[in-house]
Amino acid sequence: MRSIAQNTPGKVVLLMGNEAIARGALEAGVKVCAGYPGNPSSEIIGSLAEVANELGLHVEWSINEKVALEIAAGASFSGLRSLCAMKQNGLNVASDFLLNLNLTGCKAGLVIVVADDPAGISSSNEEDSRLFAKIGDLPLLEPAHFQEAKEMAREGFSISEALGLPVLIRSVTRVSHARGNVTLGELPHSNPKPAFDLAQPRLAFPPLPNHKVLHEKFKKARTMFETSSFNVYRGPEKPEVTIITSGSGYLYSCEAVFNLNAKERVGILKMGTTWPLPEEFLLKHLRRSDQFLFIEEVDPFLENNVKEVFAQHCMELGVKRFFGKANQMIPDVGELTPEIVTSALQALLAIPYTPGPEAYNRTASEALAEVVPPRALSFCAGCPHRATYWAIKTALALDGREGIVLGDIGCYSLGVGASGFFQMKTLHAMGSGVGLACGLGQLDRFGLDQPVIALCGDSTFYHAAMPALANATYNSANFLLLLLDNSATAMTGFQPHPGTGTTATGSPAPILDLQTLCQSLGAKVEVVDPFDIEGTIAAILKMVRMVKGVKALIFKRECALVSGRRQKKNYQVEIDPERCLGDSCGCNRLCTRVFKCPGLRWDPKKKKAQIDEAICNGCGVCVEICPASAIRREAQ
Amino acid sequence: MFDLKDPFNVIIGGVGGQGNVLASRILGEILIGQGYVITIGETYGASQRGGSVMSHLRISKKEPFSPLIPQGQCDLLIALEPVEALRILAPYGKPDVLTLLNTRPIHPIDVISGDATYPEVSKVIAKVEQLSLRVWVLNATEIALEMGDPIFSNIVMLGALSTIQVLPVERQAFEEVARDLLPSRSLMENLRAFDRGREMVKEIPSKKVPLA
Amino acid sequence: MSRGLKGLVEKVLSQGLCTSCGACLSLCPYLRSWQGRVVKVHDCSLEDGRCFAYCPRTEFNFDGIEKKGVHQPYQHAEIGSFRRVLMARAKDSTWRERAQSGGTVSALIDFAIRKKVIDAAILTLRDGDSSPKGQIVMDREDILNHAGSSYVSGPTLEALHRGPWEGEEKIGVVGLPCQVQAVSKMRASTLEKKTPIDKIRLMIGLFCTWALEDEPFRDFLKKRIGNWPALKLEITPPPERLLKIHTTGGLYIVPVDEIRPFIRKGCEVCSDMTAELADISAGTVEGIDGWNTVIVRSDQGEKLFKEAEAEGIIESQPLPMEHLNHLKEASLFKKERAVKNFRNIE
Repeated sequence: MRSIAQNTPGKVVLLMGNEAIARGALEAGVKVCAGYPGNPSSEIIGSLAEVANELGLHVEWSINEKVALEIAAGASFSGLRSLCAMKQNGLNVASDFLLNLNLTGCKAGLVIVVADDPAGISSSNEEDSRLFAKIGDLPLLEPAHFQEAKEMAREGFSISEALGLPVLIRSVTRVSHARGNVTLGELPHSNPKPAFDLAQPRLAFPPLPNHKVLHEKFKKARTMFETSSFNVYRGPEKPEVTIITSGSGYLYSCEAVFNLNAKERVGILKMGTTWPLPEEFLLKHLRRSDQFLFIEEVDPFLENNVKEVFAQHCMELGVKRFFGKANQMIPDVGELTPEIVTSALQALLAIPYTPGPEAYNRTASEALAEVVPPRALSFCAGCPHRATYWAIKTALALDGREGIVLGDIGCYSLGVGASGFFQMKTLHAMGSGVGLACGLGQLDRFGLDQPVIALCGDSTFYHAAMPALANATYNSANFLLLLLDNSATAMTGFQPHPGTGTTATGSPAPILDLQTLCQSLGAKVEVVDPFDIEGTIAAILKMVRMVKGVKALIFKRECALVSGRRQKKNYQVEIDPERCLGDSCGCNRLCTRVFKCPGLRWDPKKKKAQIDEAICNGCGVCVEICPASAIRREAQ
Repeated sequence: MFDLKDPFNVIIGGVGGQGNVLASRILGEILIGQGYVITIGETYGASQRGGSVMSHLRISKKEPFSPLIPQGQCDLLIALEPVEALRILAPYGKPDVLTLLNTRPIHPIDVISGDATYPEVSKVIAKVEQLSLRVWVLNATEIALEMGDPIFSNIVMLGALSTIQVLPVERQAFEEVARDLLPSRSLMENLRAFDRGREMVKEIPSKKVPLA
Repeated sequence: MSRGLKGLVEKVLSQGLCTSCGACLSLCPYLRSWQGRVVKVHDCSLEDGRCFAYCPRTEFNFDGIEKKGVHQPYQHAEIGSFRRVLMARAKDSTWRERAQSGGTVSALIDFAIRKKVIDAAILTLRDGDSSPKGQIVMDREDILNHAGSSYVSGPTLEALHRGPWEGEEKIGVVGLPCQVQAVSKMRASTLEKKTPIDKIRLMIGLFCTWALEDEPFRDFLKKRIGNWPALKLEITPPPERLLKIHTTGGLYIVPVDEIRPFIRKGCEVCSDMTAELADISAGTVEGIDGWNTVIVRSDQGEKLFKEAEAEGIIESQPLPMEHLNHLKEASLFKKERAVKNFRNIE
């Protein structure tokens, strides 16, 4: 297998943005890397973990992002370069430590990579994590393409050491989860011996003097960035419009200029160091044009900060016009696309542009509307979550008291929709379902007569739900926790966690058993296999009916994609058309119309259900739900 | 022989789980080996779960382009699923787009549930034909199933790609990349899948007059 | 209007009118019962469904039903059509000890099976702690185990659809008036019969003024009598009106008024006290212990009763006129109350 550890300087390879960042860290001689999985950041630690043994690094999946950052900081304090990677929500978790760490500073280079998810493609929010750089007076870099992702990661360590501050690198989906050419640099061979200098304690308290020191470092960072090669202007000397952009906005901006053939009229100022902004450098470019268009994801961060610089110097600069999110020229939510940038630029330059001939576009749109069915997300064929939600729905219907299922983010978030039978009713941060249950679980004294049910995944439980469960026991909350243990951090790419028995680098690890953990945190615990649907329904009913206290029901069944990698199908599943009741009374297509596993098909002509051989993963759960025993399975 | 338009834009699209990310990566690796500058934009995460997925490949001799292809600028569509071809052509197609199509449907859950209907595949092909300059088809999933695992259908499609002379994809180059990227235990099967794709792909003979 | 599950939910389940007779259960996966409640789990899109067609609380036409049931025009009299009303009891005292009142019903079922009038019967199992449920029985010991009343209704008829059936050709059913109504509707329904409805040869109905909600009543009993298993429940006639609970831990007595809150709402719109569509109906005789009031209604019922008498299984006496009048009064009162309550719902 190809790895990011090849020591072939000058070689051009195809790397994913996240791999490029990891490679940059390797070229900087990183020794300790920690993170928690989360799209679109997961492959940074993932690819480093693959080469950790070969290169003698410590790479770990930490229990959560705060701990990960503390691990990286510990290494930095002791003189080893370290990297910490996470997604935007993760930085919220780590922020408590981060906003103390900025006061103590660090020693060896410490780079914190945050991959944001504009539009929340696989997130509960689309938060712009750059604001944390501002809160914490921390230097911020934003890579615009793959080569730069690698260079910034490498350079980030030097900047960090020069300033004595952690450096934030903010990536986004279209950088992290895209691939492109990267020219490799050299891998260093240094083996510094770590030591913690007792004469140099790292104490955030007292904050005032530390805050003052931080501001001095901040000023130094501004000066450093005045000459940074990450800030690049490309365009004519006096453009009609200057696009000021960062991160993913850069390639879209180039694309728009290319599409409109407007190279002579438009300049592109790509900012790589977006906090603190290099003022002199900016002023030079603000003098070039009278019109500026800001292209960035997601918040108007650069836009507002540049305007602030402008405001300080407006007497000298004169009248300038700024376009961007503030005046709605660019949408203020969601991802950027080439179209968004093109249409904004086209409006500013009054250049007509339509993608493709109209006749074609019309025919294509008509074909789409006429014959193409929608394709909603759903749990995979054989996913234990489908069976789990089926049991939850049935049990709560039988219980009849309108039980409230409080969830959070993970694959099982699809439980908010048809695939999970619309069972999940709250979705916020990792583990928030359990915390919310602590609250709702106190409301019976005020007359709440609906059962309270929290739901979270195994990895989420370790990450954020353990404190909530301890709280529930301490404060006598009444609820049932449904712990969906699929033995993987499935949504982000099956990373191991404290319950799986292996580490990020594949070494064996002690298993923190969920059942024992929940018990020790004071819950009454039972374990079920969600594929045993009737047994699961009975278990939920029994536990939801226990009146007082904290109960935990663990649904133990491995992620279908994980088990599918290891083994072929458990069962060969077949449908006997003679027995299939189809859409007649007594079934009315329970398996296809209601259960909706993608491994099934409905033949509207024969009026029978069928198995899609290419999709069915052989879990056999549909055999259990078929009222006519028409679905048969044979163990493989 | 290959005087590619610059940038040449390829979309590999299908349904989550069909392996479009791997296919785009293999294709990218093959082309980077020939000195091209590649950008690939991919769909990850939640969209994997049975949803529509796409990889955008930008192929240039000069510079990296954005990881998303602008609408109406797809030069080659490799569709791993029939209706996904139409879903992609609507925003990204253009009169001279070339389409390589796997004809095996994967029913969305709205079709499985009966809330929507899946069109006749022949009708989908006719629409794709109307919207493309040239169309090549094969049932890559069926071929992969015959080999024992539908997982190979993306490689079957790459094999097909290597014979239609649109991109410089040679078997030799595929084999080198496959050795690097794919688990060694499945290398022989993947090579076989590639060859089956080469054998089975057929161009749909048609008018070849672009829809203006 | 939907005549499928949607209609059933609208007209019956969401109105609280379900009597938990079990007629709609085990027909499909959409309806299930738990703790005496029938629950819709998933939506069904069919416009016509057996669940709606068989339910005794959806539209009900006695005249239409009659043709398939008792085989004579329905008489809108106080206690429905009948051949004779009398007092009867099982001669064998074992039946009387285990069963309610005179043990007539248990003895008749046992006799019907022995005489091959039926191969098996669906009775209601009440085993103390769990909800009543339907069971298929074929011998004397089983029948004895199913004797007695708990004043709680349960999904007896589910057993008809669920089975397991092993080739039985003739089936008897003992049920409450709502269950007898449901069976009559099943027989009359034009929807395809996928369960052995056409094999029912005998329906014995039990008088019923009302039934209780299973779960709340069980919770109440638990509070009152603790964890003793209840062996037998009986309600004494007015003016006393006491619920006597015989348990292994002794006798507990509760005024009936205390359990009235647990009466099913669905019973308050029921106009049938005496199971008017049964072949034979039976109940207690107020003030006379150890005897049943028996209403012989159909030819089949008459034939079975006569044979049982002839073979010394059952002994009978005329029902005193004042008792008959009282029975009619009570039945009429229930009808009037049902009409009034039903208007309130409509």
